[in-house]
Amino acid sequence: MKRGVWIAGVGASLPGFRLFRRGSVARAVEAGRRCLADAGRRPAEVGVLIHAGVTRDYHVCEPANAAYIQHGLGINVEFHGARTLSFDLGNGGCGMLDAAHVLSALLREGTLRAGLITASEGNADLRAKGARPCPESGAAILLELSPRPETGFGGFAFHTRGEHADMAKTVVSLAETRGRLLTHRDPGLEERWLEMAGPVVDAALARDGITRGQIDRVIPAQISADFLARLPPAIGLPAEKVADFSGSLPDTLSTSVFLAFHREREQRPLLPGKTVLLLAFGSGLTAAAATYHF
Amino acid sequence: MKIRIESLGAYLPEKVLTMEELLASCRRRPPWDLERITGIRERRVAVGEYAVDLAVQAARRALALSRYRASDLDVVVCASISKHHREDEFHYEPATAGRVAREIGAGSARVFDVVNACAGMLTGIYVLQGLIRAGEARCGMVVSGEHNMPLARTATRELRHRFDGQMAALTLGDGGAAIIIDASPDPSSGFHQLDLVTGARHDHYCYSRPSRRGPGGILITKARSFQITGNKHFPAYFKEILDRSGWTLDDLDHIIPHQVSARAVANGVKAVARYYGCLLPPCTRVSADLYANTTTTSHFLALHRFILDGTVASGDNVLLVSGASGIVIAHATYTFDDLPERYRGHWASGGAA
Repeated sequence: MKRGVWIAGVGASLPGFRLFRRGSVARAVEAGRRCLADAGRRPAEVGVLIHAGVTRDYHVCEPANAAYIQHGLGINVEFHGARTLSFDLGNGGCGMLDAAHVLSALLREGTLRAGLITASEGNADLRAKGARPCPESGAAILLELSPRPETGFGGFAFHTRGEHADMAKTVVSLAETRGRLLTHRDPGLEERWLEMAGPVVDAALARDGITRGQIDRVIPAQISADFLARLPPAIGLPAEKVADFSGSLPDTLSTSVFLAFHREREQRPLLPGKTVLLLAFGSGLTAAAATYHF
Repeated sequence: MKIRIESLGAYLPEKVLTMEELLASCRRRPPWDLERITGIRERRVAVGEYAVDLAVQAARRALALSRYRASDLDVVVCASISKHHREDEFHYEPATAGRVAREIGAGSARVFDVVNACAGMLTGIYVLQGLIRAGEARCGMVVSGEHNMPLARTATRELRHRFDGQMAALTLGDGGAAIIIDASPDPSSGFHQLDLVTGARHDHYCYSRPSRRGPGGILITKARSFQITGNKHFPAYFKEILDRSGWTLDDLDHIIPHQVSARAVANGVKAVARYYGCLLPPCTRVSADLYANTTTTSHFLALHRFILDGTVASGDNVLLVSGASGIVIAHATYTFDDLPERYRGHWASGGAA
């Protein structure tokens, strides 16, 4: 993909103790509000809102969570005047990068001025079974056409290995009143993701026409400390380039990559000319990589 | 660059359930004559098949008619709402599109799900249009399988009174649809305009979630308010998309609305007629009488029916109209290439049976 779509703002609703559970819509709205403030944009300027979270409040499957988030953010909620399309895009932990790829394509058509991507996880189910559900969190990014065409997203790559699809599942059992969240994570999951990491990075770099040497920083989903320790050899990049916030940021599924991006930006502002590699891993099994030029 | 529907696949389960049979199975039978009110006589019901199976069947049929092989597909987008892939299970992840891609042999395709209530397939087309125009994909599939009858079964158990919010669940049916999209080689055919808008202030009129009174999922619809609000706003978008396409009402050969019910469609036609101040040409096609409301798949199951019976022909101008919970208002203007002829020929030769 040609460059030219950049991240104009980032917002986060960080995991951590809160006296009251807030739910996935509230988390996405909080992150979205901070994102719009960070970008200095009004809600009415958002033409498309894509929500990429996995879990839903009360397990509501219709309408799209994005509609509730649009309402919460006050983005062109009526049918008069400026218009916004909201929809959900689902692909587990890779959803936000999928949405960034889709939105980059839509922005390049020239009919949109700005698009917002949100993701949030907020498990409202206190009786969840199986693997421990991820903590509540929210993340949002605002994408726009960049005034400098050489900046912004470069190459995207997505690899799916369907033969391992059953290794990661999140299901709502409807056999029980109010539904019950069942989460399954196979113990060998991280090993499979590490196998997929190298090829997906190769593909993203090839699409952008750059080499590993041009990558200044790698921002991966914060799967676990052990996973992040094994990631550098798997992708052929030195460990000091890989952002590891696993001590303070747990794995938060769909929001993980951009919460790490937010943390990285807070800790060491990335200067113009720097290139980062974003890496996400999700069910499917899917590995996603994207290059981004500041 | 315009995109077109290169191939179409539809799958309807064999079992037929009439409205009378469904009403007879209600623990407290509603006093309404729902068949007369909705115009729905019967629907198809999946037995031993789930949403993903319906989607896979439709996808295989679309591939059978297509010049593309499964391995040629760059993207597979699944737009199902009812991700019931096993008995009493609703799947958040992995993406249903991945499972469909694996089953049809499109293992190298990019996969993700798009969820936008009943406008899901039109939203999937909008997304794929963006990827094709940006050069990120050459061709792709938008597929959906809707296994809605578990919601209707919950309604038969839980309906309490004549104004119960679950009443609309009795208008649902099962079905699968798939389309293969690529760039149109002929600028006079394909999608001329695709317009989707969400009026999120109205997000409370229709929602689906697990029941709080027992097992199963429920669909709650404030049908009257939903229709009144939708009919107040959608005619302006209807006119706008015709204007942007350079069409007038007389250019329309077919209007294919979202098949909620025959009465809802008739009310929508009246709303547009009021807005225009004249009658609409009698080209609104309704398939709800036989298939009921199959949510995301309804436009494409209607196309399947009206292409096979010869109503829709090559070169015809079609307007697809959708009103979905959110509220999402979606319109698409489309001119057919030779797909209707190919589709009829394919079915006549038994290729899709």
